[in-house]
Amino acid sequence: MMLAFILLGALAIVGGVITIAARNAVHASLGLVGTLLCVAGLFATLNASFLAATQVIVYAGAVMVLFLFVIMLLNANQPVTERDPVPYVRELAGIGGTLLAGAFVVLAFTFKDPRPLAEGAEALRGGSALVMGETLLTRFLLPFEAVSILLLVAIVGAVALVQRPAAQPDGVPDELEEPLGAPREERVAAPRGAAPALMSDGEVRA
Amino acid sequence: MVPTTFYLGLSGILFALGMIGVLTRRTAIMVFLSVELMLNAANLALVAFARSWGDPTGQTAVFIVMTLAAAEVAIGLAIIVAIFRKRETTNVDDLAALKG
Repeated sequence: MMLAFILLGALAIVGGVITIAARNAVHASLGLVGTLLCVAGLFATLNASFLAATQVIVYAGAVMVLFLFVIMLLNANQPVTERDPVPYVRELAGIGGTLLAGAFVVLAFTFKDPRPLAEGAEALRGGSALVMGETLLTRFLLPFEAVSILLLVAIVGAVALVQRPAAQPDGVPDELEEPLGAPREERVAAPRGAAPALMSDGEVRA
Repeated sequence: MVPTTFYLGLSGILFALGMIGVLTRRTAIMVFLSVELMLNAANLALVAFARSWGDPTGQTAVFIVMTLAAAEVAIGLAIIVAIFRKRETTNVDDLAALKG
């Protein structure tokens, strides 16, 4: 058990370092995938089997595919010109991060378990879908429903945000349809008078 | 059985790594990846506490946080794509129009 923790923990930290240090965005995402899988393994050692499965399916699967898709869509994997807005931001962040990690570790060692660990692990009954479902659909019914509405809003919002404007009817210059960076002068707006008109004798003339 | 303390320490280290990433990376997507790292560190601490108390409430909270993170990623990446289409950049230093 201890061996699994040390192995998974070390791999999770290595993945985290790759995530924040890799020049290439794709490499960074793959580092994060490694960390997420290790965290899933740690969930399994903590009697949370359902969460371990959810972590692999939702995080390492769906979320990271979305990340990789957007990285490739934006072609953002070339390194950004490093131009730090604040001098020594890397060194300061490194010092601050080390201090924060140290503070967390010190804080962690002040933690006392409220009951024997074996007893707590027993009470979780393996953290199966049955246990999770019982809690989720009784005590947490309102948050559960709220989250379902949130997901619906997120779906609609994501579609609305990336949607290109609908094509305009003929005669109206639809400049937003052309690709970014294309010269605008080539497009000539149709003259207003050219629209077909219904004359008084019932004939349609241009 | 591994003590809760070790899990909390690991969670703190991962959180600090994520914080360093948020502070040093300049691309919006990389900042986002680091935020995901921080969220996972917090999740790990919650699951460790759930075992410590023997109460599945902590695990349920992690489940809800995962759902929130999925929604957040969908909206956040959609915003990044929309910004990239308009500004041709995702560098967070170039997107300072609201700096005041």
